[in-house]
Amino acid sequence: MTHLTDQELEVARLIIDAVYLEDLKVEEIDPEAPLFGTGWGLDSIDALEIALAISRKYGFQLRSDDVEIVHIFASLRALTEHIQKNRTD
Amino acid sequence: MNRTWSKQRERGSPFAIRLIRWIALHCGRGVARCALYPITAYFLLLAGPQRRASGDYLRRVLGRKPALWQTAKHIHTFAATILDRIYWLTDQHERFDIRIHRSDVIFDQLKKGQGCILLGSHLGSFEALRALALSQAHFTLKVLMYRDHNQTLTRMLEALNPDLAATVIDLGGPNALLRVHESLARGDWIGMLGDRLGASDKVCHCRFLGEDTAFPAGPVLLAASLQVPVILFFGLYRGGNRYDLYFERLADRITVDRRQRQAAVQQWTQRYADRLEHYLRRAPYNWFNFYDYWEDRAPHRNIALGNVADRPE
Repeated sequence: MTHLTDQELEVARLIIDAVYLEDLKVEEIDPEAPLFGTGWGLDSIDALEIALAISRKYGFQLRSDDVEIVHIFASLRALTEHIQKNRTD
Repeated sequence: MNRTWSKQRERGSPFAIRLIRWIALHCGRGVARCALYPITAYFLLLAGPQRRASGDYLRRVLGRKPALWQTAKHIHTFAATILDRIYWLTDQHERFDIRIHRSDVIFDQLKKGQGCILLGSHLGSFEALRALALSQAHFTLKVLMYRDHNQTLTRMLEALNPDLAATVIDLGGPNALLRVHESLARGDWIGMLGDRLGASDKVCHCRFLGEDTAFPAGPVLLAASLQVPVILFFGLYRGGNRYDLYFERLADRITVDRRQRQAAVQQWTQRYADRLEHYLRRAPYNWFNFYDYWEDRAPHRNIALGNVADRPE
């Protein structure tokens, strides 16, 4: 399993906090596993909670009309990359 | 059969739906309503699972085994409201005797100029509200729903009113609720139905007609996340051409404390279930969930755990 970078670890903690996955251990996280459906098994309510948490912490909004939105939510790694590119905090 | 409404085959062939539409639009409501009798008989004879689900529901609400005429009346009421959707969507509202109860709830919210959630159900007609919102345009209504279900019927209705498709937010993708968020920020009103579970919904068990059953936790979680008011809506069909639209304010703001998340979601969802039961007892034949509503014992994802392992396939 690939190791998490510090940035991925920070985003993983944000997700865990936002969607109440407290019993998930960060060392068990695969950064390339899909966030929705199989993998993390998140749903659209979770996506909203994550988007709200990202806007609070990193100072930018995820947009539903972003053509990349499916890719952004594809994995922890993709989401972390997107945050690093767009953060304004 | 468990809570698999989404897997239920859509009854009614494209041809039959086109035929009814043609009759409805060219021969008028009176003639089309005569066609409801053979349609009712057809479903009574051939739609076994739906008939059994109706029987189970009617037994609970009536307190005894339903007679055949009561099951027939249930199916007929459903068919009548489907037919009326054609008239609602083609702006023929003058056909109907519409009584709006507690419209002050709507006007108060309009005065605030702020978006809200309009939470309805499969009790009666949601179309009445949608059609009135489209034609009177006091507020912009977006409807959050699974667009893939009942494709034939959905396409037919959208063909009748091309504005309709633009008002739907499809619950299919992970960005659905981001769209809802953006829409509410623009001041739109978001309509959704709170009584049916999608396969991967977070659930909340509520007391309903004397027994526990699972309701989606999504509407309450959404309202809590976005801190918007929730207005309940019930559009009851009373027979003939009469519809009663009821509005009620469920909450100005739902606050969910982190440590008591499950209890808070439970409390608000139960309140919704209680109001649903209240109206359902006043119009029992308006219940349009023709699948086994109480059978679900599947370990749907529990809101407090949020754990993937609990999730059914």
